[in-house]
Amino acid sequence: MKNDFYEMTYILNPVLDEEKFSEMVQFVNKLIEDNGGEVVDVDEWGVKKLAYDIDKKSTGYYVNLYFNAPADAIAPVERNMRIHDDIMRYLTLKYDAKMKRHYELRKKGELPSLFEETEGEEESDDDK
Amino acid sequence: MINNPSHPKKGHLKSRDCKFTKAGIEYIDYKQTDILERFVNDQGKILPRRVTGTSARHQRQLSTAVKRARFMALIPYVTENLR
Repeated sequence: MKNDFYEMTYILNPVLDEEKFSEMVQFVNKLIEDNGGEVVDVDEWGVKKLAYDIDKKSTGYYVNLYFNAPADAIAPVERNMRIHDDIMRYLTLKYDAKMKRHYELRKKGELPSLFEETEGEEESDDDK
Repeated sequence: MINNPSHPKKGHLKSRDCKFTKAGIEYIDYKQTDILERFVNDQGKILPRRVTGTSARHQRQLSTAVKRARFMALIPYVTENLR
């Protein structure tokens, strides 16, 4: 079975506590692994303000996730995430060669910057 | 964004060539909202190519990236002008 590289970002209900957040992350990781996938990297952004309200909530707990999985694993994973009440949004992207190269650069922190004024994403992410 | 000196409409970015091509960017990531915000106006609308000088290939990528970021509530669909 050919495995593809995927990225998934999802937003959790912010009313949960820390313990519940990590439980949810474990739940999603398990979901992927149960369907024959392999989690590569989990990046929790924490509670961030949403640009607009989703389900009458103005904040959300963002989790950014990278994994390898066969193509037919995505449908059951997404179905489970759609049903789950505490996952407000999710977005799954299949990576092609260009996106993978971008991901490698991003991991090394060598992303080409577009403007001279931008020092790096870390600093600019904080003030949002 | 109003006080952003490098906002494409502020005349600072006079160059007609594509910023993404120049920087050698292959994929525009929807997570990099700091980049995306330079290419939308104060209302959150995507600026046209003729204003920003973006190449056609990158404009297509940019519009997908903006739409993904909007879906994930990273940037707004619409912004009230008065604030």
